[in-house]
Amino acid sequence: MNRKKLALLLLFVSPLMPQAQAEIKHIEMRVEGMT
Amino acid sequence: MKQHLGRQSGVQNVEVSLIDGKVEVTPKEDGHIDPAQLLKATYDSGVSVAELNMTARGKLVKDSSGNLSLLIEPNRSFTIVPNELSKALEPLVNSSTQVTVRGQLYKKPNGKGKKKADALVPLKLLILEIQKKE
Repeated sequence: MNRKKLALLLLFVSPLMPQAQAEIKHIEMRVEGMT
Repeated sequence: MKQHLGRQSGVQNVEVSLIDGKVEVTPKEDGHIDPAQLLKATYDSGVSVAELNMTARGKLVKDSSGNLSLLIEPNRSFTIVPNELSKALEPLVNSSTQVTVRGQLYKKPNGKGKKKADALVPLKLLILEIQKKE
């Protein structure tokens, strides 16, 4: 397989691979005056 | 308040603890949650926020002013307040390494009065813990 075919293969397969996505995972607030 | 927060964009679940005065928000996986909007929504429901902490994963970049920032999405980043922990992250700027950090985005200013949090003021991230580098 030449380099061009390999590059094309990676281009199409890479979106299917699991990725560590950048994201907000959790938010915690301390609040006052809650009844 | 729980229902009000639950209607905000990007919010999957809200847990309220009346005893501790704690509100835990679980974001949806779409990543569209906006902490500033949550802060405003909490105030709008008549409750004063003393502190807002966040756990997030992202890449480290320098903004146009040269400040260290955590890039969470292509269009969302939080400027990092310099401290000892942030210094340890400096070598990772513009690398492909993703870091997971826990940090404080908002703390109620000292002093009397119920000052409303201004959603227009950009929130800065004070890193409290570096959980993972990957």
